[in-house]
Amino acid sequence: MTDDSGKKPSGKPPQGEGSGDAGENDRPTVNPPFDVEAFARAAGGSRFPRDAPTRPPPNLQGSPGEEGRGQQVTLTNEAELEKARALSARNSERPRPITSSALSIADDRAKSSGTIPPVADATAPASIEAAVLGALVSQPAPEITERTIDDPLAEMRERFSLGDYTGALEMSELILADEPGNLEAAECGENCRTVLEGMFAAKLGALSRVPMVVVPRTQMRWLSIDHRAGFVLSLVDGSSSVDMILDVCGMPKLDALRILHELVQRKIVAFR
Amino acid sequence: MTVEKVIGIDLGTTNSCVAIVEGGTPTVIPNRGGYKTTPSMVAVTEAGKRLVGHIAKRQAITNAEYTVSAAKRLIGRKWTSPQVKNAVSTSSYKIVEGPHADVRIALRDKEYSVPEIGAMVLQEMKVIAEDYLGEPVSKAVVTVPAYFNDNQRQATKDAGEIAGLDVIRIINEPTAAALSYGYGKNAEKTIAVYDFGGGTFDISILEIGSSGVFKVIATAGDTFLGGEDVDARIIDWLVQGFKDEHQIDLRQDRMALQRLKDAAEKAKCELSSVRETEVNLPFIISSGRNEALHLQRSIDRKTLEDLSGDLIERTVDICRQTLADAHLEKDDVEEILLVGGMTRMPKIQQAVADFFEREPSKGVHPDESVALGAGIQGAALIDDKQEMVLLDVTPHALGIMTQGGYFEELIPQNTTVPTHRTKIFTTSRDNQTAVKIVVMQGESERAEENELLGEFILTGLRRAAKGTVEIEVTFEINADGIVSVHAKDLETGKEQSIDVTASSGLTRDEIKNMMEGAKDFMVERRSTEEFEAAKQEAERIVGEIERLFPQVEQIVAASDFGRDAIDKARAIVAKARAAIAKRDVAAVKAEIEGLSRTHRMFKGVVAKTH
Repeated sequence: MTDDSGKKPSGKPPQGEGSGDAGENDRPTVNPPFDVEAFARAAGGSRFPRDAPTRPPPNLQGSPGEEGRGQQVTLTNEAELEKARALSARNSERPRPITSSALSIADDRAKSSGTIPPVADATAPASIEAAVLGALVSQPAPEITERTIDDPLAEMRERFSLGDYTGALEMSELILADEPGNLEAAECGENCRTVLEGMFAAKLGALSRVPMVVVPRTQMRWLSIDHRAGFVLSLVDGSSSVDMILDVCGMPKLDALRILHELVQRKIVAFR
Repeated sequence: MTVEKVIGIDLGTTNSCVAIVEGGTPTVIPNRGGYKTTPSMVAVTEAGKRLVGHIAKRQAITNAEYTVSAAKRLIGRKWTSPQVKNAVSTSSYKIVEGPHADVRIALRDKEYSVPEIGAMVLQEMKVIAEDYLGEPVSKAVVTVPAYFNDNQRQATKDAGEIAGLDVIRIINEPTAAALSYGYGKNAEKTIAVYDFGGGTFDISILEIGSSGVFKVIATAGDTFLGGEDVDARIIDWLVQGFKDEHQIDLRQDRMALQRLKDAAEKAKCELSSVRETEVNLPFIISSGRNEALHLQRSIDRKTLEDLSGDLIERTVDICRQTLADAHLEKDDVEEILLVGGMTRMPKIQQAVADFFEREPSKGVHPDESVALGAGIQGAALIDDKQEMVLLDVTPHALGIMTQGGYFEELIPQNTTVPTHRTKIFTTSRDNQTAVKIVVMQGESERAEENELLGEFILTGLRRAAKGTVEIEVTFEINADGIVSVHAKDLETGKEQSIDVTASSGLTRDEIKNMMEGAKDFMVERRSTEEFEAAKQEAERIVGEIERLFPQVEQIVAASDFGRDAIDKARAIVAKARAAIAKRDVAAVKAEIEGLSRTHRMFKGVVAKTH
């Protein structure tokens, strides 16, 4: 759901919202044609709190005037979420306590939301999104904030409950890298993928549709996309459907959907 | 009563093609993408989805472990054969030993027999033909290389059976090419068929007789030499150029390699008609410094010829050797047919012309001639009026092993069947009371170089000096191709025999199970296609209705009646969505009518107010 008033919901940072919105306003806010919260709950199973999505996180409280609008808090636009997360990380004044067992992470999205190069490890599921978003948003690079999370599982659950499925997926992968047998992380990761795939697929429309490249071939090389997006773009031949491209791209479905969605958003690719 | 059509299938190593005779004209049937050939590739995706043809080829490198190509090199071969050993070490997919010392291919969580993989390609060709003809097809003529032995031919037949096709005849590829060449021309001559395809090279010398026998006088080739080797040379050239410029090895990235493979093949094809072409692959790889690098390079025909010169020379060497082995002179060859996509390359045409000292015939289509020939033979088999009927011949000589490991031929290659031949043999040792009859197939004088078909022992021979006990050995091939071998002690009348039936390595039960699996797959595929078509149509109309909703809502805002119509329209859209979500094809189809009505109504409302 989006905020009817056009304002950012309670995820809005207390300062510096103006500059950050410029790029975002150019992008359409398209809600998927289903209730994402319900979808997430259905996909999420019993491990994740059912009432949490409507409750703003403690450090992102909205203004008093926004109280009682719990149903409008959850962001469903991936790009908005990413920006909110980046701003949240940047404006975080109170770092979490560090403990000896803490799992330290750097917020990749914060890094890539400016002109910072895409992360070197292009195989990480979130890196394409980071790279594409980085190319999309022409704003000054935010300060890279490193924070330490002492309870990654709780962080993962919290992100999931907030509807930040990309963030939750990232957390689940970090946990699984450390502890491959963690069933909760595996399940959450799988659920996040399912939700995100559903979201991107819904945004793209029928997967039987045939995308085609609309940027003239001569201008292609001036686009700001990475090689994985370039690979997906090379599969857009005007006769293959989205389904076929997903079959042949050889990358995780979520990554491919995300890239295709971004290519469509950036008007590099369009449907017939 | 309409006669059922028989399709002709060229089941190639890299590409397959299907043809039919329509109104007396042989025609190649294009696939759904409009291509006349379909890659003989099968893949299973991570999600367990089966891909066949072009779609499998497009992901062949990014999903290399689970994409099968060139399965034809393995069909009908035993696990212990050198070709299988070679394939095990060079294939990107996993080849394992089957339960009957046959070959299996592991894809994801299942092991497939080679005929099963072949069946997937044949099934695709069957679907292409059925879509084109609008009726089911169940009979086919399938081509195989001239050097295929009975087991390989049987395995190809089994593949057809698994695919739901009754393979009424197996014919040699060069024979099929010659048929398409000689169709209606009443040719009677000696020809050479130079077949340079995507994965293999074959040269065959054929004698076309007026009696309907196309005799394969000599055949040779290289099963690991084809257009893909030329592609590999172009890829090497591009990779090296990129490395020199950027110090990055594109081979390290599968996505880059997949694009390079496609681009190399495209450039190779283009250079057959133009002198220079450009390979342009933007965003091919990450530089690691926040930028994607582009590959842009021109390649000309001369460069391609330099890159592939030795490969072309290899084919000429094989031609030279084949003529020598068959004791033929270049002058004995009256016509040269070029078959296979690679023969479009001007340099190859020139090399063939230079070697045979004669311009090759371009009267046959390099990609289509084999399938067309198979289609012609298929039509001839069901049409009594057709004069041209090929006779079944033995593809290889049949005989037994004799002392010293030699091969004694009883039935020569190219003998028309049914046939029988008898020969008298004697014992080779003093007081020998038993003889082992080892039945073999092949042309080599050395028994070990031929294919073992079976063996049996004849006992109870009279004790006598060597060379005095006579044993009569009879080979008989019936109309179904079953070989019977009898050995008889002429003195005592004791007899022993064996029936040799070609085997693909699969049991009847296995074939039956695989057929069931293939049928189930087709039912599921057809049902999925039906659902997808209905879903696509429903989603299209839903999209149109949703686009009109705001306008219609605005127009009818003031009236209760209008509000009611909007609600009903929303309910129809919701019902259609629910049917799609449930993947209920009947329900989706049923909703399309309501959606169309709503759409028409909305369009009418908008049109009237503008």
